[in-house]
Amino acid sequence: MPIAPKPNSALLIVGHGSTENPDSSTPYFDHADEIRRRRLFREVHCCFWKEEPSMREARFLVDADDIYIVPDFISEGYFTQEVIPRELELEGPTTLRHGKTWHYTLPVGVHDSMTDLLLRRAREVAPDVDPATTTLFIVGHGTGLNQNSTKAIKDQAMRIIESGAGYAAVLDAYMEEAPFVADWEKLAQTPNVVVVPFFIADGLHSYQDIPVLLGIEPEVGPAASQREVFRHNPHSLRGKTLYYSSAIGTERHMADVILDQIADFDRTHRHDLGKTR
Amino acid sequence: MISERLADSIHKGVRQIGQIAILPDTAGSAYALCHIDDVDRLESLKKHHDPSDARELSIWAADGHYRFTKGELSLANGWLLLLEDASQLRSAIDYFYPAAVGLWLAHQAGQADVQHLRDKLDRQTGMYRFARNLSTPGAQRLISEVCGPENCCAKKILWQIDSDTPLEDSEASRFPGRLENGVESIPLLCREACNHFVAEARKASKAEADRKKAISD
Repeated sequence: MPIAPKPNSALLIVGHGSTENPDSSTPYFDHADEIRRRRLFREVHCCFWKEEPSMREARFLVDADDIYIVPDFISEGYFTQEVIPRELELEGPTTLRHGKTWHYTLPVGVHDSMTDLLLRRAREVAPDVDPATTTLFIVGHGTGLNQNSTKAIKDQAMRIIESGAGYAAVLDAYMEEAPFVADWEKLAQTPNVVVVPFFIADGLHSYQDIPVLLGIEPEVGPAASQREVFRHNPHSLRGKTLYYSSAIGTERHMADVILDQIADFDRTHRHDLGKTR
Repeated sequence: MISERLADSIHKGVRQIGQIAILPDTAGSAYALCHIDDVDRLESLKKHHDPSDARELSIWAADGHYRFTKGELSLANGWLLLLEDASQLRSAIDYFYPAAVGLWLAHQAGQADVQHLRDKLDRQTGMYRFARNLSTPGAQRLISEVCGPENCCAKKILWQIDSDTPLEDSEASRFPGRLENGVESIPLLCREACNHFVAEARKASKAEADRKKAISD
């Protein structure tokens, strides 16, 4: 659903970033550029956990007194529930701090509209494959730090099953907890397999680590931006035909998901905003 | 607005931030930015007109390494960024030196809200939690090993170890955030230890713990 312009508000997109891979922050800047082009906000900025500007520096970027913070993260978990509120000194959905009003939305990855993006990406990467003979994997990181980290991926897998897209199976799998993506050929019972990394960026994990776990690459390769040729699908591996997509966060419609989260925030918390302004 | 206050400071004579020269009324544009080493050869530089090009220009150092800390003294040269107005100028500088102008203005107004190292380390969670165990002598040593121009960082450190413990005198703790070339500059300020420093603090803290364990064993 389109949102009304907010000419007095700033949008702050929060990302992870990386000290090793500059591709990690590219999607966040791309999403910010796309939203800037639509002239919906007075200003649009990015801040990061691992890169500059840091979250603590973000308030020095912003002129507006009213700020929407959207975690450009996949899941509700360690970062969105612990790190970002701590670093931005947030106390709930809306916080008054440093003379400004900060509205904290849910992360992009938990929004319903992500399901359509995942299906679109799966069809793009394997356009001629019959879903009835295909297992679709949605792959995340997985971590022991927060039990919620896998929930968004499980939820999306369930929504895809319920969407009637027709895949023989839709499975969630992870790098660092079971079910492990490295076991993909044992988990999949079909001849065709499509793997969509549920990450924002084609960074260390989706472009370098998961291809090794899948068996596409023998060892971790250079960053995506330093490759001459993007990987070619399909891959004949372990007796199956494997299609591997780039990270879902590189999908250009992610900007719409950011705006969807803001629209949802307004619908849910508008009465709170009225009291705190 | 930050962009208006930036324009005002340039009107009053500011011409530099970090390794970047700020040139008003240059090459037909309201403002131009280039590397300070390129000021005398503007005609030979590759021209850019989009403020967001500053992001690409600041990602890689001349030797090809990834500049994940933007205060690093490794900005590549050979480019000229032409900008139409103060808003574009501010956007471009925020790509090169994120939040530096806003932080400088806040610092002038006494609103930089400096966070000392102990507070920064104590709030770390997850894998960085161990960084809080770093000793004060270890922290002082680490500053001289990680911060300051000798270690390629051009920022002025505003923080202390804690509110009662200033930084020991060193090239890093003395550096004013401005390169000493006689040009009026916006200083690059460090209001709390960066995540690179925290990562190094974690390593140093672990090394201290390993040494203690080796001695007790």
